[in-house]
Amino acid sequence: MTLNIRLLSLALLSVLAVALGACGGDDGDGAPAADEKRKGGTLTELAAGDVDYLDPGRTYYQFGLQVQYAISRPLYSFVPGKVEEPVPDLAAEMPEISEDKKTVTVRLRRGVRFGPPVSREVVAGDVKYAFERFFSANVGGPYPGHFSALVGAPSEPTRGVKSIRGIETPDDHTIVFRLKEPVGVTFASALVMPVTVPVPADYARKHDARNPSTYNRYVVATGPYMIENDGSGRLTGYQPGRRITLVRNPEWDPRTDHRPAYVDRIVIRTNATDTEIAARQVIRGKGMILDSNPPASVLRELVTRIKDQYVTLPAGGYRFFTLNTEVKPLDDINVRKAISAAFDREAARKARGGRYVGEIATHYLPPGMPGHEEAGGLKGPGVDFLSAENVRGDMELAAEYMRKAGYPSGRYTGNEELLVVGANADPGKAQAEVARAQLEKLGFKVRLRLVPQDALYTRWCLVPARKVAMCAGASWFRDFQDPQSMLEPVFKGSLINRDGPNNNMSMLNDPQVDAAMDLAAAAQGENRARAWAEVDRLIVERAAGIPWLWDTTTLVRSKDVAAEANPYTTLWDLSYTAIRAEE
Amino acid sequence: MDPTRTNAITARSPWALSRSRLRRDRLAMASLCVIVALVLMALLAPLLVRVLGLPGPNVQNPDLLDDFGQPTGPSAEHPLGVDDRGRDIASRVIYGARVSLEVALIATALVVAIGVVVGLVAGYYRGRVDAVLGRLMDLFLAFPVVVLAIGLGVACADGCLGGALRPGMMVVITVIALTTWPYMARLVRGQVLSLREREFVEAARSLGASDRRIIFGEILPNLTAPVIVYATVLVPQNILYEAALSFLGVGVDPSRPSWGAMIADATAIFRDAWWFMAFPGLALLLTVLAFNIVGDGLQDALDPRPAH
Repeated sequence: MTLNIRLLSLALLSVLAVALGACGGDDGDGAPAADEKRKGGTLTELAAGDVDYLDPGRTYYQFGLQVQYAISRPLYSFVPGKVEEPVPDLAAEMPEISEDKKTVTVRLRRGVRFGPPVSREVVAGDVKYAFERFFSANVGGPYPGHFSALVGAPSEPTRGVKSIRGIETPDDHTIVFRLKEPVGVTFASALVMPVTVPVPADYARKHDARNPSTYNRYVVATGPYMIENDGSGRLTGYQPGRRITLVRNPEWDPRTDHRPAYVDRIVIRTNATDTEIAARQVIRGKGMILDSNPPASVLRELVTRIKDQYVTLPAGGYRFFTLNTEVKPLDDINVRKAISAAFDREAARKARGGRYVGEIATHYLPPGMPGHEEAGGLKGPGVDFLSAENVRGDMELAAEYMRKAGYPSGRYTGNEELLVVGANADPGKAQAEVARAQLEKLGFKVRLRLVPQDALYTRWCLVPARKVAMCAGASWFRDFQDPQSMLEPVFKGSLINRDGPNNNMSMLNDPQVDAAMDLAAAAQGENRARAWAEVDRLIVERAAGIPWLWDTTTLVRSKDVAAEANPYTTLWDLSYTAIRAEE
Repeated sequence: MDPTRTNAITARSPWALSRSRLRRDRLAMASLCVIVALVLMALLAPLLVRVLGLPGPNVQNPDLLDDFGQPTGPSAEHPLGVDDRGRDIASRVIYGARVSLEVALIATALVVAIGVVVGLVAGYYRGRVDAVLGRLMDLFLAFPVVVLAIGLGVACADGCLGGALRPGMMVVITVIALTTWPYMARLVRGQVLSLREREFVEAARSLGASDRRIIFGEILPNLTAPVIVYATVLVPQNILYEAALSFLGVGVDPSRPSWGAMIADATAIFRDAWWFMAFPGLALLLTVLAFNIVGDGLQDALDPRPAH
């Protein structure tokens, strides 16, 4: 009996010890508390490829922006957790927009300095130069359309850097943008883009004289970090296709910046091409983050087992299958509504990776974008052919619309063959095959062309002459946080460019929609969000496309990393990432 | 015993002897059965799929994908599992036999037709004709197969030669035929160089037979055995060619199941969906192996020389 009691006690003690052990330790749910973050250490990021550019006048892709916003300060930027509105960064306060919306004035913060080798205070002339070089042929800024409203903005890339008379600098800390049209609200929203990062003319001019500009290898920092360079400014910390090394910028003053900049050093490996291996290294390693979405097999492990080493956030865009309103029989709105009603959007999402890649879209403005909630949020505006309740497709409703279009059987019985174009590699290929299956189930004859991704837009979807009935790989992601930039380029009839490149792939040319856009463009604040939500609803009702996904981005970190996501780049914010203190 | 009755030794033709030798080769006969089964499977694919209660090869069922878009494995309804589009793999393997055999047999027929004619002419006439045709063979042998396939696929995206040549099956067959016929031509040429010196050719010539009569009436029948054997070797090679081109994305139309394309699609998710690659891979392996064994068997059966 005594022995049994001893054994029982031992067993109970063992169970207690195990239970205590399980209860202890870090639960690590999402971003850890601020007191767990410590200054110092080296953060490693694994990336499958290189940045597009380090030159702020040329970079345009997410990864390039992530690095850019760690080494540079645009006029406005985003703080983690606050996606609705940017905060002043290089600017001292929010922009002033004149009553007639043709003048935007920005006052610069004092005390922001260029890093070595320039090592001086940033002045308004540096921002003016940044804009002017952006329009030059040697730099070739990738989004001139966003700033073409500037008075004196060149319509073609300039030979050499030319002054733009619409940008004035009355003093060293004031910059005034004069616009040809009353688009001040949209213009101000675009001041988060990297073109607003200051570039010192005295230092950069000799690089910009070359074609292409060599400033990409001599970028000078204004942010908390800089890329290691030699005395002349040449970036020794940038090994293309291999590594980018960021160190602290000695000229950075934390009192002028919202960024905490915890770590001392950031090593970005740009040759971790096997994303599965890279993701597993990050999960099992220390002090690491991953630059991109993990593959499905790793995502499954994160969601079902690991749980505390990833975050998801809206990617700020929408994917849609275009319906060309000028191609028969899609010129009939009832046919378009039928296709939309029948379309299995869940199948398309699964082709892309399942429910963890994003929410099923019910309209265009994505979560986090002003106007999304006003347009109905996740449930959408409530049209029957694109509702949240029929994501699997409703064949009866589709048949009804087909009968309204003059097909008594409820299926297409005509002779037209629809040209559907998609990418020739997954997941675009999978999406395209889903699209074909959805059209064929309504009786349409489909000719599916699978083309390389880089030709999908430039040679097919953006070329009206190709008469692509459905572009199966269409998407639109924000350049800045304004609904006009999400809807106008893609659906405004007056912007159709028949000679290409044409962003209005649906060829939607509806005067009522255009008029609503013109009205919404002039609105501000909450009225603006409501007005663009109304435009969103009108576009949905025209069935010009089938929006099917609002992407989410999944970001992965090591267990000891305390990281926060930047809602604009939708990647980890390098300036807000820390290595947690050892326990 | 009746002295008039004797055990007559019946003379057998070379073909009969060959058939007898082949029948004694059990491995070759088993492989031949596999090939016959494969051909029947290809011909009767729609019926077979219906009898087995399988869905069509292009029917996508997203309910068979998990929350991460990954396919589910073998089950009662889908004995070989599904692929990353939710399509039944058994159905696609069955239909995939059509693509493999169609491409291989048509391409092989073209190779034989072109190669035999060119080889005959080159070997019989020799001299300048042989030299020119030889350089032509070298030229076609130098064509990089994949680059040619990609180039033709892009250049003929909207159809070439009045729409006869389009991306997909036609381009694959054309590429295989264009890059493979020189091998057949060289084999035939070598045989013809030897045969043209034989007595029966001399005899035919002395009787006033024309070159055409000699080439097609005397020499060609003696090439039957080596051509058949080589053709049997070419078939599995061309099956692999088609699989490789489909693997690289320049093969048949994606709407037609192809073992090579299936293997390519399966590569990215092999760790989580081994069945997606295993079954088309196994089908390809068995097919190629069967043809190779039959080819070896035919070579042994048709070769009149005694075994060493």
